[in-house]
Amino acid sequence: MIDLNHVTKTFGAKTAVNGLTLRVAAGELFAFLGPNGAGKTTTIKLMCGLLFPTAGTIRIGGFELGREGDRARGIISYVPDQPFLYEKLTGREFLQFIADMYGLAPEHGRRRIREMIDVFSLGDFVDDLTEQYSHGMRQRTVFAAAFLHEPKVLIVDEPTVGLDPKSVRLLKDLLRAEARRGTTVFLSTHSLDVAQELADRIGIVENGQLISCGTLDSLRKQAAVNGSLEDVFLKLTDEAALSNGRSHE
Amino acid sequence: MNNQLFLFQRLRWKILSNTLLLAVQGSKLRLVIILLCSLLIWGGIFGASAKGFHFLNDQKIPLTGNIVGTVFDFLFLALSVLLLFSGGIILYSSLFASAETSFLLSTPAAADQVFAYKFQGAVMFSSWAFLLLGSPILIAYGLAFEVPWSYFALLVAFFLGFVLLPGSLGAFACLLIVNFLPRHFKQVFVALIVVAVAGIGLWIYNIKPSDWSDALNRDFVQRLVGQLSLAQGPLSPNHWMARGVEESARGNINNTFYYLALIWSNGLLFYLLTAWASARLYRRGFNRITTGGTLKRRYGGHWLDRLVTGLVGFLDSQTRLLIVKDFRMFRRDPAQWAQVLIFTGLMVLYFTNMRRFYQEELQPANKNGVSLMNLAVTALLLCAYTGRFVFPMLSLEGRKFWILGLLPFQRERLLWGKFAFSATWSLLIAEFLVLFSDFMLGMGNSTIAMHALTVLVLALGLSGLSVGLGAWVPNFRETDPSKIAVGFGGTLNLIICLLYLLVVIGLMAAPWHLRLILPEVADDRTIPEAWQWLGVGLGIVFGAGAIYMPLRIGASALRRMEF
Repeated sequence: MIDLNHVTKTFGAKTAVNGLTLRVAAGELFAFLGPNGAGKTTTIKLMCGLLFPTAGTIRIGGFELGREGDRARGIISYVPDQPFLYEKLTGREFLQFIADMYGLAPEHGRRRIREMIDVFSLGDFVDDLTEQYSHGMRQRTVFAAAFLHEPKVLIVDEPTVGLDPKSVRLLKDLLRAEARRGTTVFLSTHSLDVAQELADRIGIVENGQLISCGTLDSLRKQAAVNGSLEDVFLKLTDEAALSNGRSHE
Repeated sequence: MNNQLFLFQRLRWKILSNTLLLAVQGSKLRLVIILLCSLLIWGGIFGASAKGFHFLNDQKIPLTGNIVGTVFDFLFLALSVLLLFSGGIILYSSLFASAETSFLLSTPAAADQVFAYKFQGAVMFSSWAFLLLGSPILIAYGLAFEVPWSYFALLVAFFLGFVLLPGSLGAFACLLIVNFLPRHFKQVFVALIVVAVAGIGLWIYNIKPSDWSDALNRDFVQRLVGQLSLAQGPLSPNHWMARGVEESARGNINNTFYYLALIWSNGLLFYLLTAWASARLYRRGFNRITTGGTLKRRYGGHWLDRLVTGLVGFLDSQTRLLIVKDFRMFRRDPAQWAQVLIFTGLMVLYFTNMRRFYQEELQPANKNGVSLMNLAVTALLLCAYTGRFVFPMLSLEGRKFWILGLLPFQRERLLWGKFAFSATWSLLIAEFLVLFSDFMLGMGNSTIAMHALTVLVLALGLSGLSVGLGAWVPNFRETDPSKIAVGFGGTLNLIICLLYLLVVIGLMAAPWHLRLILPEVADDRTIPEAWQWLGVGLGIVFGAGAIYMPLRIGASALRRMEF
């Protein structure tokens, strides 16, 4: 469903993503981890077609982003780490805008909006302007919009920041349920416990390169550590940093 | 595709209606004051224009048609320039530096539909101030010359068709610059502006009447009209607009629709070309602008920061730090300093074109006229500068207020810091310009002193008004200073600042110059000397009020503000 083939992205003299090749199957929940500045958000923006690869190709659902970007984006939902909401729209108006943008039939759109309001408990504030929302309310509204059109690929960047424990639990259950339903979930996060609990496979990126990719067990083997994902992550990223340091010398 | 077009229109309407509803439900007093001020300025321009047009009509002034035509040519030329530059800059921020477009580009929205949606917004933002200031002139003209009713109805069609053309050109230029400008953006941009300013300067230099001492006579008008070749050329869209409006006023249906068709067909063609280009270049440009620089770029101290620190060395250290912070943010924002360059270019243009006056032996009356005109132009530029750059300063603090709000000093200090920053720059630039031109014209010492005092009152007053009103009607939601400046609060500020400068010049400079001019042009008429001094005194009192009152209101609003 997600197919990155030798993707490189440079920012002037800096290479943010370096020859990344990655395939994520339909119905898979893939966790994408890495230290700050490793290239996670750049990779996500490339997958949404917001940025163009300097080299390599990206396919989403079989659509090559360079040629069929609009069709690819039609099956994607992207929830960025700092999501955008129209401040002068109510939550319901925003959801209606999203339903119309993704071409949902009017009756189907209204039904899905009702469902999302129930699922994310938006009822108390959905008819207020979003400028009055707290961070958690905004996050829940954004997720409702992301699930609204039943995307085939769901890309989420730091989804649990600002959510209360109950909402985090709800979101984790929803992400797992979506994956079971056949949706590909691409999850970028620093919350290693969330990744460990949910992910089918985990990819670790450091300095723009995929240094490790597989199930938690295979990562443990690679790191020669029999501990938590946190231990594995720290071991692998430290080794990669050291290796990079040596290669610069 | 059509569905998206409809969707974006509905989105705009929803946002607009919710915003209006909120404004009506919010502070009634503020809304009423804003509406009253808008009505006042509209009525003022309408009244002055109607009086002028009636005078031309009643007195059977020769070449009335040419004078009106020239006024219209320049009116629409001003709108073209406004749409070209302001529209282009606003569009740049909207398309390439806003969270909304990042969001929209991650949805299935077509690039050209997003572009069209933002284009309409930029054109509306750029031209609504013109609607407020230009519509009373056109309506007054229609009423004074008793034109057919169709004139008023067709004004809307003319206006809508006309804004497409410069708006599309500005947008096209914006797309080209973002996509193809070489990496040395700063240097190329400065060079482009210098070339543009030099070109316009040369043109204005050529149209300058050779001898103002002839005063206003038939030859002068004919020469001036004849020299406005560029603004009145058959290929100039503002000329089509001016002729179309005139033909409509005369009731010449065929000619009216000829010009209307000319404007609409060209406007639509350029819009189509720009929309076609946007489908191919918008996403490409977005990618280029996001990844164009180097992530490793180092920012640090700059000699300009040290210069500013030195200039405001008379202030306490905390206020000084705030000022340097504002300046540093300003100079790192190309959209901001590019507009300062345009402003500076305009000033250089104007004073360069005053060269011939400085070289000629002008009659004292003409010298006084030119000197007063220089003062008025400098005041207008100051007004534009404070409205565009100073008014948005407090709004731009926006959500960063949690930093400033927690700092261990009184919030008012923020206002005083911005006031000192604005007043220092305004004073330095304006005093230099006015004193330079007065010395070159050979004005008397007392007139030079009076001008220096008037500029002081203007610079301090305009800074006080823009800073105070900026705190009273801030717009914390908007991050684009251009939009803040042309928004509701920004326009209110502009209107009040224009009224202020009219009053100050009317009180302080006009009686002074009139007393010197009148004995020459009307032998037996003059005004008492006491009026001069009374005017100066009243101007100073009025100026003090313009500093104290807005800053007090702004400080009070800032103290009560919750974040």
